[in-house]
Amino acid sequence: MTEGNLSALVPLIFFMAVMVGISIFVRHKQAGKNFVSNYFIGNRELGGFVLAMTTVATYSSVSSFVGGPGMAFQVGFGWIYMAVVQVTAIFLVLGIFGKRVALLARKLNAVTVVDIIRARFQSDFLAAIAAFVIVLFFCGTMTAQFVGGAKLFAAVTGYSYEAGLILFGLTVVIYTSIGGFRAVALTDTCCAIMMMIGIVLLLKYVLQAGGGYENIMTTLETKNPELFEPFSFGNMPWTIYFTQWLLVGICTIALPQSVVRGISYKNAQGLHQAMLIGTVVVGFMNIGINFTGILAHGVLPGTAADYGGVDNIIPTAIVMAMPIELVGLAIIGPLSASISTISGLLIVASSAIIKDVYLHWANKNNHVVTAARIRFLSMAATAIIGAAVFVIALTPPSLIWLINMFAFGGLETAFFWTLLLGLFWKRANKLGALLSMTGGTIIYCATQAAGFKIFNLHQITIGITCSLILFLIGSYLGKRSDDETLKIFFP
Amino acid sequence: MKKNKRASMSDAQKFSLVRREAIYTGLALCGLIIFWLIAGFGTASSDVKIFHLPLWAVLGSIGVWLVAILISAILSKVLFKDVDLGGDDDD
Repeated sequence: MTEGNLSALVPLIFFMAVMVGISIFVRHKQAGKNFVSNYFIGNRELGGFVLAMTTVATYSSVSSFVGGPGMAFQVGFGWIYMAVVQVTAIFLVLGIFGKRVALLARKLNAVTVVDIIRARFQSDFLAAIAAFVIVLFFCGTMTAQFVGGAKLFAAVTGYSYEAGLILFGLTVVIYTSIGGFRAVALTDTCCAIMMMIGIVLLLKYVLQAGGGYENIMTTLETKNPELFEPFSFGNMPWTIYFTQWLLVGICTIALPQSVVRGISYKNAQGLHQAMLIGTVVVGFMNIGINFTGILAHGVLPGTAADYGGVDNIIPTAIVMAMPIELVGLAIIGPLSASISTISGLLIVASSAIIKDVYLHWANKNNHVVTAARIRFLSMAATAIIGAAVFVIALTPPSLIWLINMFAFGGLETAFFWTLLLGLFWKRANKLGALLSMTGGTIIYCATQAAGFKIFNLHQITIGITCSLILFLIGSYLGKRSDDETLKIFFP
Repeated sequence: MKKNKRASMSDAQKFSLVRREAIYTGLALCGLIIFWLIAGFGTASSDVKIFHLPLWAVLGSIGVWLVAILISAILSKVLFKDVDLGGDDDD
């Protein structure tokens, strides 16, 4: 291990120990309850506050805390104007899917989003594709989180990238494997709180180091007028605004890691509370951290390139503005964004393999699977997926942020119409969902690989449009869903 | 009394209620998009500044956030109704 800032490491180690402690406590408290329901959706016991925090924490990734504010540093208030569309994410997913998914999950005894898709379209093949898409794209997103978190750790503490990966990467895999969804929800709540504390701390010290708000803003008005213009003198074209509304706004309602939270809460009052709390928190985080990114000009007088690119703005600002004894506390915020996203994805990916594929196969073939075996396999699957992503992150692929956005768009293309139309349109059927999920995802991946764009818009626009067209074609050409299924989904 | 009322709803009534709430949410989104456009691009030519920030930046960020909070409050406290989700874990 290289020589680093030990005082920055201590709070981080303490925080990670608390995360593991929470998961052991949760595991101990929930012994004896239905393991599958407990491990994958926390026995549907989440209250409003925890539901809000876990949804926000899983949604907010390390790029929201590192790459995003770095871009705000570069392009200015247009970036905040664009990022603020994320305030829709929580009330949309909970308002549109929250209760419907909860009602259906209780009716069908469903534990995963794939369970609901399987029941709606009566197709094991579609369910298998959905599980595959989840695992594939989640691995991409998780790798981005691991790499982003470890790079940030190395830049701020002075320890190596690998040391960071081992410290927080292994911790998140361990606590998710042990505690399952309930532990994920509780640790997410701690993470969301730490993210907000981290933002407030950084903002305070950036303002202080820059000579105060008045001083920073007056200098910016003279030196960087482009920061005060919505198109940032050409750095923020309308196409970015448009695609961000789709990519991180509207289409996020269909992300399986968000929709599964609709299965996990206790009652309607909890959902109502979560919509409000979640919107307050997600807006605070988005505006707070991106505004801090702009104010970092007071500490970092050069351009983003002078500090090694936009990804280095926040780490450098932390090091330069914060007292050395508080650096460890400040870095917990962005690392919390990373680990809370990883844990949320890890548990859904694990449920896709164990619940959606293995247990379904076993039940269909009348294989008896003992409770002890389910417990072992569930924990093993979580640990193995986590370990696999950890190994990939040890030799980080290049263009990691693009991989993250690619995965986001892929999940949205695959699930947006399948869930939205599947749950709200009677005519939606198996053929439509199959064509939409497979065709849309393949077209999206192909356009990404070829670098093909229309009007220079992100390929999500092509993916989501093709996915809709294929869904409609399939639904009008294919056989209607049977009456029994429709009676369950549209009583 | 309130609990009895929500427990006595039929499946069809629950799903119809939930569908209506989803429509309200969709309409709320449309409203927020319109506000976002007007608050940001719509006021971009104004010279008004608030705490050194151009009007569009304030309305397009904090303004949009506050309106989203208002929308969430109206949805969750006025338009959304309590409903028994079924199962034995709904108190």
